[in-house]
Amino acid sequence: MSWYNKRLAKSIWVYHMSASPCNNCDIEILDLLTPKYDVERFGIKLVGSVRHADVILLSGVINQKVAPQVKKIYEQAAKPCFVVGVGTCPSSGCCFKDSYNTVGKREEVIPIDMYIPGCPPKPEAMIDGIVKLVGVLNG
Amino acid sequence: MDKNVIPVGPYHPLLEEAEYFTLQVDGETVVDIDLEIGWMHRGHEFMSESKTFTQSLYLVERICGICSTSHPIAAVHAMEDVDNIEIPLRARYIRTLVGELERIHSHLLWLGLAGHFIGYDTLWMWAWKYREPVLQMFEIISGNRNHYGMMRIGGVARDVDPSKISKLMDIMDEIEKKIEMIAKAANDDPVLKSRLKGVGVLTKKDAIDFCAVGPTARASGVPIDVRKDEPRDAYDLVDFNIIVTENGDVFDKTVVRLLEIFESIKICKQCLEKLKTVNGGIRNNVKEISAGEGIGRYEAPRGEVFHYVRTDGTNRPVRHKVRAPSYVNIPTFKASCKGIPLADALITLAAVDPCYCCTERSIKIIDKNNESRKIDLLKLSREKTEQIRREMK
Amino acid sequence: MDNYTEFLSLMGDKIVSLVQKEKRIYFEVDNQNIIEIAQHLFNKLGCRLSTATATETYRGIEVLYHFSHDKSGNYFCPRVVMTDKNNPKMNSITPIVRGAEWIEREMSEMLGITFEGHPRPEPLLTGNHPQNIKVPLRKWRSNG
Repeated sequence: MSWYNKRLAKSIWVYHMSASPCNNCDIEILDLLTPKYDVERFGIKLVGSVRHADVILLSGVINQKVAPQVKKIYEQAAKPCFVVGVGTCPSSGCCFKDSYNTVGKREEVIPIDMYIPGCPPKPEAMIDGIVKLVGVLNG
Repeated sequence: MDKNVIPVGPYHPLLEEAEYFTLQVDGETVVDIDLEIGWMHRGHEFMSESKTFTQSLYLVERICGICSTSHPIAAVHAMEDVDNIEIPLRARYIRTLVGELERIHSHLLWLGLAGHFIGYDTLWMWAWKYREPVLQMFEIISGNRNHYGMMRIGGVARDVDPSKISKLMDIMDEIEKKIEMIAKAANDDPVLKSRLKGVGVLTKKDAIDFCAVGPTARASGVPIDVRKDEPRDAYDLVDFNIIVTENGDVFDKTVVRLLEIFESIKICKQCLEKLKTVNGGIRNNVKEISAGEGIGRYEAPRGEVFHYVRTDGTNRPVRHKVRAPSYVNIPTFKASCKGIPLADALITLAAVDPCYCCTERSIKIIDKNNESRKIDLLKLSREKTEQIRREMK
Repeated sequence: MDNYTEFLSLMGDKIVSLVQKEKRIYFEVDNQNIIEIAQHLFNKLGCRLSTATATETYRGIEVLYHFSHDKSGNYFCPRVVMTDKNNPKMNSITPIVRGAEWIEREMSEMLGITFEGHPRPEPLLTGNHPQNIKVPLRKWRSNG
């Protein structure tokens, strides 16, 4: 596993999954790809299908209607696949934790390996988070 | 219905506006379109009833990350409308400044994504590159790139530091030049013109029938703009024009948005100029809101945001209704998508700016023979642009 | 204010009660008159339907339509109150104003209002919900 992880850390392909967010973390994730931050320099690439992904960036508090789809997407991912919760919503539920339409335990829907808090987290924070993940993968 | 279709794209990140499109096609032509929403429903209206007025501003800010100041402005307008609360002059200018900066960043964001959808990734990178200075201005004003938390009942939360105004002005001048360059490049491009002209036409009658708002309606020749119709904040003190075009196709919607960016820059500059001289407080102390009803609205980048608040004299609303602009703009697909080729469907769907459309859209397509197949619309849309480009050479 | 006076002189006999504020007018109408009022506001005055709000009050379930008169910035808000809380019914205005389709479907699934004459009375948000939740989503509050 650790041999594989080290190879994985060379060039992380991320898949962006929005599970009823307010859209803000999503535009900040896309912002990472544009000229100012340009994470493609480091081999981090946004891919369209979860089957190609090494890391899933999950944003948003998962609502009940979207939860089965989130589960299904995670099941389709080639393992090992790490899930990073971007923003306050996956971490604590933000202000939506009292809502009638959100799932209570997000970890039961999708196992989240790492959290990047912030509403929304700055792109620098996201890069920092991914770099830390790479550090963990390299052992 | 086959449930195996993964809703990668079909989210719409506003209040309750996730989309799951079902396109019915006859060969290459779209016959009918249906959409299902509810993927984003988080119950804002319900939660707002259990929060105090100030807390619910935090909540409505998180309806949408892109319109994250339009919703609070409309909400404070509604709450101030109950008691006809006046706000200080300096606060009016600050509200307008923040609102217009948001319009610039939102329109640039849309322009970039529209470019991405038709295979112009250069336009995407350009537009997003020159959007960064706007976010920098937000950081100077409010301390955060998104979710500014500027609105309070009776005024704004924090002042614009007078020593920063000259810096803000400099950034403003700089982005104006850059955006002019983008606008010229986009307008002169023959491929872009032939790709977008006459695509996804929304007629004036349909726009009125579906009660469309914002740039979607203005591109179809319906001259509505809340900033002119019911000017609040500083909109009656600044000079600007509303942009109306007649054709209603995707090209016109692009033109309306591009020209609106320049109007917004004009308004921002006037506000910054005034903030140098206008002094005074930024917030009136509002102790309580009496029982009654209030309507607040604001012209968000996508159109009119509507908030209705009913109060009973306590510190929390009895009913808080929110209507985001895409809620009325998205049903116009039923009119604008009929009879267009499949390759044009994606850009037509994106043209009303249903917030940020995800990079990939997986849409289930039902052929007339009830054969279900999945087509990558993004690829199809880019291939058509490529074809036009080849023909022009 | 003049299109208010004009409106009130034409439609005054159909209005049950009236609250007038600066640039806003809230009035109550009977269920059978709502179509005529909507026709007048939408077709004759050229108003745009902003949205509609359904609320549960002590009197019953009420639906408040918000018509915006964009030329003057005025708001016309007709209100229909249904006293039968268990089986609320009212006439749909969707055949006149197509833009009302979504909001009426949403109110119907949230509060269980039956809109008579609605061309497509299906749930809007809870369609294909994985947990097959039953519409309406309303829960009566306890008194007090």
